[in-house]
Amino acid sequence: MNAAQERVTPENAQALSEMLSRCDRAGQKVLVVGGGTLGGMGYPPEHCDVALATSGITGVVSNERADLTIAVRAGTPIQSITTLLASQGQFIPFDAPQAQYATLGGTLAAGWLGPRRHRYGRLRDFLLGTTIVLADGTIARAGGMVVKNVAGYDMSRLYVGSFGTLGVLVQANLKTLPSPPQARVFLAPLPERTRARACAQLAALNVVPAAAFCIDGFHHAIDGDEGPDGRILTMLEGSDALLERATLELRSALGRAGVPHTRVVDAGAREAFERVVDSYLASLGERSVTYRLFPFAQDSEGCARDLCDLARGFKLRSETIVDVLNGDVVLRVSELDAHAFAAKIEAFDDALHETHPRARVVAGKHPQRAYLRVWGCDPPAIDRMRALKNRFDPNRTLNPGCFVGGI
Amino acid sequence: MDVLRERLVEALGSDAVKTAPEDLAVYAFDAYTDGGLPSAVVLPRSTKEISAIVKIARDCGEPIVARGAGTGLCGGAVPAVGGVVLSFARMNRVLELDERNRRARVQPGLINQELSRQTASSGLFYAPDPSSQRIATIGGNIATNAGGPLCLSYGTTVNHVLALEIVDQTGEVFTTSIDDVGYDLTAALVGSEGTLGIVSAAWLRLMTLPEAVHVSVAAFGDIDSASEAVSAIIAAGILPTALEMMDAVITQAVEAAFHAGYPTDAAALLLVENAGFEEDVAAAEAATHAIALQHGARSWRSARDRAEREALWAGRKGAAGATGRIAPNYYTQDVCVPRSKLPQALRCVEDAAREHRITVGNVFHAGDGNLHPLLMYDKREREQVAAVIETGNAILQSAIDLGGTISGEHGIGWEKREAMTRVYSTADLATMGRVRDVFDPARMLNPEKIFPAGTACPEVAAP
Repeated sequence: MNAAQERVTPENAQALSEMLSRCDRAGQKVLVVGGGTLGGMGYPPEHCDVALATSGITGVVSNERADLTIAVRAGTPIQSITTLLASQGQFIPFDAPQAQYATLGGTLAAGWLGPRRHRYGRLRDFLLGTTIVLADGTIARAGGMVVKNVAGYDMSRLYVGSFGTLGVLVQANLKTLPSPPQARVFLAPLPERTRARACAQLAALNVVPAAAFCIDGFHHAIDGDEGPDGRILTMLEGSDALLERATLELRSALGRAGVPHTRVVDAGAREAFERVVDSYLASLGERSVTYRLFPFAQDSEGCARDLCDLARGFKLRSETIVDVLNGDVVLRVSELDAHAFAAKIEAFDDALHETHPRARVVAGKHPQRAYLRVWGCDPPAIDRMRALKNRFDPNRTLNPGCFVGGI
Repeated sequence: MDVLRERLVEALGSDAVKTAPEDLAVYAFDAYTDGGLPSAVVLPRSTKEISAIVKIARDCGEPIVARGAGTGLCGGAVPAVGGVVLSFARMNRVLELDERNRRARVQPGLINQELSRQTASSGLFYAPDPSSQRIATIGGNIATNAGGPLCLSYGTTVNHVLALEIVDQTGEVFTTSIDDVGYDLTAALVGSEGTLGIVSAAWLRLMTLPEAVHVSVAAFGDIDSASEAVSAIIAAGILPTALEMMDAVITQAVEAAFHAGYPTDAAALLLVENAGFEEDVAAAEAATHAIALQHGARSWRSARDRAEREALWAGRKGAAGATGRIAPNYYTQDVCVPRSKLPQALRCVEDAAREHRITVGNVFHAGDGNLHPLLMYDKREREQVAAVIETGNAILQSAIDLGGTISGEHGIGWEKREAMTRVYSTADLATMGRVRDVFDPARMLNPEKIFPAGTACPEVAAP
């Protein structure tokens, strides 16, 4: 990859459209840049002439508080949206790491899957409409500002997770939810012997938590100091009455699993949760790579153990976050020395994909990224995806080579 | 024609192929007013057979129209320009119930309600619940991204489809999953009304049955108060599981037909369901009740047991059918507006109906802002037919003017395709057309649907 020759920051959709169509006609390749938080995802572009930043396209277009809907420009940081919504008693479960930098457009384009989706649904299911600029400069709208809409194809959901390879999002219309009145976090040490039972107990809770993690490692990112190796972090959300019952249920479930001692965090509960989400992307520079895997919820704890065994075989340090309710596993493998890491990571990546073909890279800045299977193995419908790319961006102007299967 | 029949019979056996005029006539219509005769109707038993049918139809230059139960209101299942109709009546099974991961793999002809019936003993249910759920099929639900009362809290069909097996326009089979990396083809296919591929199997998400369900009916002296109460409930940040509205025309017809237990002297009723955890359900019901009272509700009655709850819902779900007591025919409009605009939207419906002297009954998903005015008429009276068309059109335009859309959950189909230009620009439609170019370049899958006439050809869609 060559360094971008030019960085442009259009101020609105029209300007962005003109720039894109000019690049497209001139055969220039464009890298779309949001907040830069997910820079560890995807392949480096094959070629890049222009870095197109969305940071000039920000702000709320319309905030329909009484409708529980909001329309926001794509370059807007997630945190400013969540802060605005919180001030009016609403939320959207973005759960994006580094929310002060992450943009709405980038979070959608990356198809970010947050931990609270188990309870509230995927981000894609909050999307009511979009405005996108295609590579040839076409400005296209889809959907609208109503919560049910079946007029034509669901283009908006198609753009979610398309990694900026079909077009550049400039606006998204979303539905919001009323904020849960309370949040409470439970922290407990998690000795190795209780791990499997604890996960099973958490997954079987009647009053489903908003999020539940079994964490191994990531001390610096989450606790700020060294502590016992494993710990559980569970966040409950809901009314006071529901939290009361959920607390009792959770305590007795963890007790049955043999988890020793539980600490309750009321003030700062959401911050504790956000530190876990942020740590999904916590990178040790060139000394680490972080993968995300998506087994079924009930297999996730076993999966995490297998992954640690695999890493141990390569003498790599492994740290994991198991999202017990969704079944995601975040795996960070690292070494103390960057050279030693570089010597092993490709072989580890191969071995990992042999048993877990869907493992994707989410973080890690290292020179060999181009040689890892950062998107996992190609999906079954890859040919149709390539055809779609070809119909939307025939000159491969947008993020060339960054996405799965060379798209 | 003879070649088509011959080859279909050879591939599937004569009992799976219908070409007699009286058989074809049955498949000429769905629940929309206009129809078109197919060349043949075929009833596949497997994905392989669907694939074979598509290849034969393609060889013979025949378009393909997939059909569920034919309950669609927009002509989506009508063979607009003839062709082969695929009926999934023989592919109606649950193939696999994966209780552990709360999902089920089903065939497209499975009846919606059947899935919840078969999973209830596992404590699970399938959330999307269109009013036609006793006959409508999953395949048709996926094609239209069907909604229903419970979609207020659970979302429409697209939120519940995990993976699809699709037969494409060449007869090739492919799969998509929302967990696959890459473009979300599942989302593109759901709601595409049979124009991008044929669903041959689907993995659907199942939900855990709630521990508590409360259903109540609030009666109002006028429609305005009821619709303002709905807007106020949403604005207060209360999202019931379902929030439905019925006006006097509907409730009187329903009471006469079903004895659901609705008060018949009210101008409008709200049917409210709150489901979930006992603590929250009670609180949500109390809050909803309080807002209803503030907006002049004359009465509030809660179902005491399951039988009463089911009776209240049976009335709602049978409402459209009950209007047969008012007029021989009815036309259902389907528009969606921002929820704060509900009172205005209903006034527009009233005004349009009055102006064209049409009796209107309103029964709809108020919490979503999704209106379903039923326009009563007698199709033998030409003037009434014209008036219904005018009224429907006026309602459509008023929804657009209020920032809404031309279909909340029924689809565009044949009926509303020309109205697409009222909510989308040429560029917007051409962008959708690019997806069609990839999946159905020859426009042989359910042609003449969704896209306005003359705009759906690849050469027009190209920038």
